[in-house]
Amino acid sequence: MVTVVSGLINVLIIAIYATVAMMIGILFMGIGRKIVARVHNRVGPPIYQGFIDIAKLILKKTNITHGWIYDLALLFSITGIVLTILFLPIGGVKLLSTEGDAFLVLYLLAIPALGFALGAGASGNPNSAIGVMRALVMMLSYELPFVISMVALMIYYDTTSIAEIVASQYGKWAILIPPFAISAAVADMALQGMLMEAPFDIPIAPHEIASGPMAEFGGKHLGSLMIYKAGTIVAYTTLFVDLFLGGGVVMKGGIVADVVNFIVWFILIFLVFTLSLLINTSFPRFRIEQAFKFYWKYEAVLAIIALVWVYWMVIS
Amino acid sequence: MVEMVFAVLIIAFIFTLFIKNNRVASIISLVVSLFPLAAFLDWGREFGINLISIGFENTMNINMAGITLHFSISPLAWFFGIMLFSLIPPILLYSYSFFSKNDGFYPFMILLMVSVMGILLSSDFLSFFLFWELMALGIFIMICRNGDRKAMVRYLSYSVLSGVLILAGIALLYHMNGTLLFAEIMLKADFETMVAITMLIIGFAIKAALMPLHTWVPPVYSTSDEPFVAFLSGGLSKIGYYGMLLLLFAMPGARVMEAYINSSIATYLLAIIGSLTAFFATFLAIFEDDLRKLLAYSSIAQLGYIAVGIGTGSSIAMAGALFQAFNHAFFKATLFLAAGSVAYRTGKWKISELGGVAYKMPLTFMAALFAIFALAAIPITSGFAAKWLLYEAAIERRYVFIAPIMLIAGVGAFLYSFRILYGVFLGENRYPDIKEAPKPMVAGMFLLVMPLIIFLIFPGYMLDMMDSFLSSAGLATISHSPYVIHTTLGNYNTIAVIVGMMFAMIPAFLIYVLRKQHLVDFEDNFIGGEIPSLYEHISMHAAHNFYKPLKDVVMPYLEGGATSIYSSLYKVVEKIADGARKIYDGVVQDYAIYVMLFLLIIAGWLLW
Repeated sequence: MVTVVSGLINVLIIAIYATVAMMIGILFMGIGRKIVARVHNRVGPPIYQGFIDIAKLILKKTNITHGWIYDLALLFSITGIVLTILFLPIGGVKLLSTEGDAFLVLYLLAIPALGFALGAGASGNPNSAIGVMRALVMMLSYELPFVISMVALMIYYDTTSIAEIVASQYGKWAILIPPFAISAAVADMALQGMLMEAPFDIPIAPHEIASGPMAEFGGKHLGSLMIYKAGTIVAYTTLFVDLFLGGGVVMKGGIVADVVNFIVWFILIFLVFTLSLLINTSFPRFRIEQAFKFYWKYEAVLAIIALVWVYWMVIS
Repeated sequence: MVEMVFAVLIIAFIFTLFIKNNRVASIISLVVSLFPLAAFLDWGREFGINLISIGFENTMNINMAGITLHFSISPLAWFFGIMLFSLIPPILLYSYSFFSKNDGFYPFMILLMVSVMGILLSSDFLSFFLFWELMALGIFIMICRNGDRKAMVRYLSYSVLSGVLILAGIALLYHMNGTLLFAEIMLKADFETMVAITMLIIGFAIKAALMPLHTWVPPVYSTSDEPFVAFLSGGLSKIGYYGMLLLLFAMPGARVMEAYINSSIATYLLAIIGSLTAFFATFLAIFEDDLRKLLAYSSIAQLGYIAVGIGTGSSIAMAGALFQAFNHAFFKATLFLAAGSVAYRTGKWKISELGGVAYKMPLTFMAALFAIFALAAIPITSGFAAKWLLYEAAIERRYVFIAPIMLIAGVGAFLYSFRILYGVFLGENRYPDIKEAPKPMVAGMFLLVMPLIIFLIFPGYMLDMMDSFLSSAGLATISHSPYVIHTTLGNYNTIAVIVGMMFAMIPAFLIYVLRKQHLVDFEDNFIGGEIPSLYEHISMHAAHNFYKPLKDVVMPYLEGGATSIYSSLYKVVEKIADGARKIYDGVVQDYAIYVMLFLLIIAGWLLW
């Protein structure tokens, strides 16, 4: 009986964390628009604009579909991103992250992307296909420096579990260790590509390919994609914070610690997100081959330097 | 009882040679193919896995002309047997509708079954080699049925090279040990053994299509019949890895081997070649326009992962390699069969000429989609567990070069997967008049997808199947329950993923059912204000030269590749031969001098 109750409490906690994380993502979309507006010297929409947009889109009366494969985009995108968040430690609370590891998270992140790509393909719009092509090439580009940085972390802490990596960083964040400062810088630029912010907003380039993959989406489908976008903001920034900034864990034990850690985590992902927005507002858009060269030439070399350094530290 | 299985297969081989009716031949071979499968399922009790109980004997000795051929079952052979023989019945079921008449497919499929059974059961090198060559011959005849000259020549030359290397390796081992029995050969850590093993491994690597020995694969896979290619790619290519595993881990003295090899770079080299194979073949697959060649390069890439596992050699890596072999057998066979179904209905192989097939062939699409999820290692299939084990193994051994290369090859798999999904199945509805593939073909594909679903939920069962091999090879078994795998580095709990997914699907599903939606026509979409139906010449399918920006950057580095190595080798050989030709300069006096020199040398040698 006790185990059932504690199990249910655990499920409830996980559900609350996932819901709050998604809400934070939607909030961040509004905050992001506000920040960009201020950089542009505009007033900008209110910070709760994301909620308004999503509610409006989801509650629209007329919805069109291009068949069941098109609907997979809706189902896969939300499912995949929520599932990913479940496997990431948030503010030291492990959620399900002890049941999987960093590789699982990397591949879980592919579920919503693949679902989205399937829907875009089924819509039959050539712009969507081009957008997906760009998104996939971007993925191939930024993953190389990112996985090299991640492998460096894994061999240093001798674990692949994100929860373990977070626990090992208690008191000393990875970013404070010299080689990981390089890794973190590299991963931050990879994050820019993951979040599709300029100069890597190539896949959705509205002026070139009519918003690319989203060209045919409307109503609740577009609403679900906005939820997905909100989820990616939280998932990727949390991944970065977990890997390099100790997951925001500053205290141990007790509910007070959880609350404090949660606040620190929130501040950290907010800072990471703001940094990416500030880079976004200061750059024009790369072409796709420039992005590929940037990641595979300069970023990858830096990442390899960090990896060799870490390897040398581990061996000696 | 081994004799009985062999006898049934051989009788069926002769019988099907004379049957012209495709359906009769298909049903006969389908029934016959269940015999070896039943035998292998039954032999599971030897290794603590009771699936069915018939009571087959599992040893056999054949005496011919003073030579004894020994056959018995080993844990490794059992694993590969289960994998290969559960692949065959669905393929034969598929062939029921695929072919219009029996012109040699079924008898030689049965011959291949005989050879595979022989290779797996043989416990001495002589019978191993005999059946190995029988397999090579069977494959060659299958390739000849379609009569593509390039494919035949490439396959034949590689196959002969492989046979010669294996024979030489076996001869060396026999010379040193005086026996051909696996059980009596003691591999020693000396130079001659290393030479023998290297020759054997190169011979096996040809069958397993490791780079740069892969160039026979694309022409063969792209010209032969799909059901055969499904078995060749899914099943027979693993036999090369069976040979490697047999040599490196299943023989007595393998511990000596391992001690010798771990301290050297030998197996590390194999792992590096495997990872580079995965990496480069993935890039070649991304830019390929022929669906069959794309799948061929994808096969090469996925098989590269197995070499990484074998080269790494820890128990996690070995489990990953075997798991990957098993998954690849089923998803790649499904994909080849799906490609065959698409071509059966449309007659097209080029991705840029296909498009929108999924709307009319939803079942084929679903089977292919699931296979692609497994190929791309999405965690909603068993494909992920295998790759995950391999990544864990690379991190455990601190293989800092191999791990990122493998991970990037994994990301590259998304690129060509989407190329198949979009180019062939989605996008513009170019074939509005086709029908779904015939029922037996669909049934065959779905039967092949089943294992991927079973081992998605219970990857532990797969590890159970390899436990007895791991312990017989002296490796630690991996701690697992049916749905959780533990390694020293992390856990993978499939129940957590599946239950988490169900919970995560609730909001998605609520949004999905919240408001009604209505289906619109494909042409009802936004192309910058144009109305596509008014303009016949506007292509709505962006599948031609899909990854052009990436291709422009990457292709200069990939150009030539292995083929250029071979053509430069060819040029060197030609130059030497050309120099040798100059001896025959047509001047009679010169020939007289040659004869005199030759006689002088002979005389000098005799006097000395």
